[in-house]
Amino acid sequence: MAGLLRRDMLGVALTVAAIMLPVVGAQAADPIKVGVTITQSPPGSVVQGTQVKDGLEVAAKIINDAGGVDGRKIELVIEDTQGLPEKARSAVEKLATRDKVVAITGEHQSSAALAGIEVAHRYKIPYINTNGWSDVIREKGYPEVFNPGNYNSRVGSAAAQTMKELGVKRVVSIAENTDYGIGLAKAIGEALKKVAPDVQYKYETLDRASKDFLPAILPMRANAPDAIINLMLPPAAYIMMNQLYEQGVAPSAKTWLYDGSGLADYPDFWQNVKEAGKGMLVFGLYHPKMAQPALGKQVGEAYTAKTKNEPNRLLFQAADSLFLIADAVKRAKSTDSEALIKALGETKYTGTRGEITFSKDKGYAFNQWLDVPYVTFQLTEVNQKVGDSALVSQAGQPLDPAKLWKPAK
Amino acid sequence: MSGIDVDLAVNGLITGLFYALMAIGLSLIFGILKIVNFAHGEFYMVGAYAYTLIALALGVPVWIALPLAFVVGALLGWLTERTLMRPLYAGYTSWGLMRDEYAVIVTFGLSLFLINLVDKVVGPYAYRGPPLVETSRVVLGPVLISGHRLLAAGIAIAVIAVTAALIKWSFWGQQIRAVSQNRLGASLAGIDTAKASVIVFMLSGGLAAFAGALLSPVINASPDVGIFPAIKSYIIVVLGGMGSVPGAIIASLFLGVIESFGAVYISFQYRDAFGLILLMLFLLFRPQGLFGEKGREV
Repeated sequence: MAGLLRRDMLGVALTVAAIMLPVVGAQAADPIKVGVTITQSPPGSVVQGTQVKDGLEVAAKIINDAGGVDGRKIELVIEDTQGLPEKARSAVEKLATRDKVVAITGEHQSSAALAGIEVAHRYKIPYINTNGWSDVIREKGYPEVFNPGNYNSRVGSAAAQTMKELGVKRVVSIAENTDYGIGLAKAIGEALKKVAPDVQYKYETLDRASKDFLPAILPMRANAPDAIINLMLPPAAYIMMNQLYEQGVAPSAKTWLYDGSGLADYPDFWQNVKEAGKGMLVFGLYHPKMAQPALGKQVGEAYTAKTKNEPNRLLFQAADSLFLIADAVKRAKSTDSEALIKALGETKYTGTRGEITFSKDKGYAFNQWLDVPYVTFQLTEVNQKVGDSALVSQAGQPLDPAKLWKPAK
Repeated sequence: MSGIDVDLAVNGLITGLFYALMAIGLSLIFGILKIVNFAHGEFYMVGAYAYTLIALALGVPVWIALPLAFVVGALLGWLTERTLMRPLYAGYTSWGLMRDEYAVIVTFGLSLFLINLVDKVVGPYAYRGPPLVETSRVVLGPVLISGHRLLAAGIAIAVIAVTAALIKWSFWGQQIRAVSQNRLGASLAGIDTAKASVIVFMLSGGLAAFAGALLSPVINASPDVGIFPAIKSYIIVVLGGMGSVPGAIIASLFLGVIESFGAVYISFQYRDAFGLILLMLFLLFRPQGLFGEKGREV
């Protein structure tokens, strides 16, 4: 009887093992789900969302074609936030609870990122902020949030340095009424106090949904500043630029136009601004003449083959976001949140733009890659490609105003 | 009056003219059907895209693309009335019996559908329409204005005048006004109220699309471009008096000037709030608007 029982138990054990084996095998090959929150419909920037999506898909393909992460493929689970904080919050909630993603990335608008990180922090899930520039995202000090993208203080100091080298006396920033726009306008003011305290500075905040900025521009025509800094995103930025140009304010012989929002990267830039963009100085996070690691070139070529478009900054930022997650999973040998956060904190990875590490300093530097590369370039012709524009200076190099193009009086 | 004040007044009046083009159609629809068309801004958006794509993608001259945008808007209006609006009042001669509360949901749904349709089909990118004239700056005393904006203002005046004249004196205009005053009475007098509704929807769609086309070189066509003008139009229709075309025109010009001066002398931040403040004041002290009639319904 006892022998019969043992035989039965052995049979049950073998049957269970036979059932479980394929399950264990399947688990080993299960994809690594990465949550993505981007804008895919208005009122947020669908153009940015599309560029981020392309970058993530290119990176996922590169990883998966190379065999995945320890044999597991990357699977992107994409949620549309419409650029709205409330939608971003519910998207992160869904990704964390229903889709059980291992990490979340892709966010490209500060207001949406600020909402999303609250949920990620609550669930202690890794959150790679692709393009939220607001310093407040870093100042929260959430250990789950990592920032391989650009940040307001970086643009602030770059813009202030450029203003100093241009030798201007009065500067006006035109900022959109978002966490990004207002934060950046203030960051420029703070940086100017340090590097050029004699410069008079003020900023105007405009509604990004508005279609007519003439009432804000007309007083500038009467008393034009030496430089205007654009801190608005399309399509409002295009309308504002056209109206600045039509009123003869900037770019003009008197007034420089400096873009701190990466407008020249957008594929619809020239179609929308024409002459209003000629002469604009640009804070650029990507320029084909910048030094770039081999992975950056590979991603750029894959993107051009896929979309027939020139590479752009968001492509590289998005690709790096996913490469960092894959690298952390590989080093942690786990998709457990705690292990991933620890691995991300110890990152030392050569991505598409350089070697990425995360600072542990407090404030805007927390979990931030501090050395995000940038350049200043000038668009000297209508319909000029970024690659053909004049590379005015790279980070740390001085700018020579005498070599810049300026409209005749 | 200083130079900048003249500048602000002129630009405010021009902005008001563009508001009027939008608001007249909305006012007419309310007058005839007693419904608020929440998709009105999307007719404007479709017009902006129609003009821009016809001119840029097909290479059609701008002076032909402009009326074609009106036609596209009118056709969209006709389609909307026949497929979405007609079932709401088919068989009813009195608007009091119409299922007009559904119209809010239907037109709101149409608005979302059109925004997302354009976003997916044309793409999320903004398109700047080709200007009617290439002259970028015209100096008129203290006023500096773009050639296109000046010409567009002149065209807007002409279109508003023709529309007002048609409504006042034409055969169909008189029928529209009769239906607007009393749908049941008009139908008893032999007026085809359904046809009047179709005409109003076509005219309204055409005018909104024409406004979008005219402004596409200034506002750049994008899927959500119609949202703000539509909100302004709702405010204007209430300020002018629900269903009153002259009221809508005067309220549009008034709002344009108020916004222009308020943005400079108070704050640009509150520019879009001025209309809402006016709306609240009117609802408190003159709810019938400038030219509307007081009325009660039980």
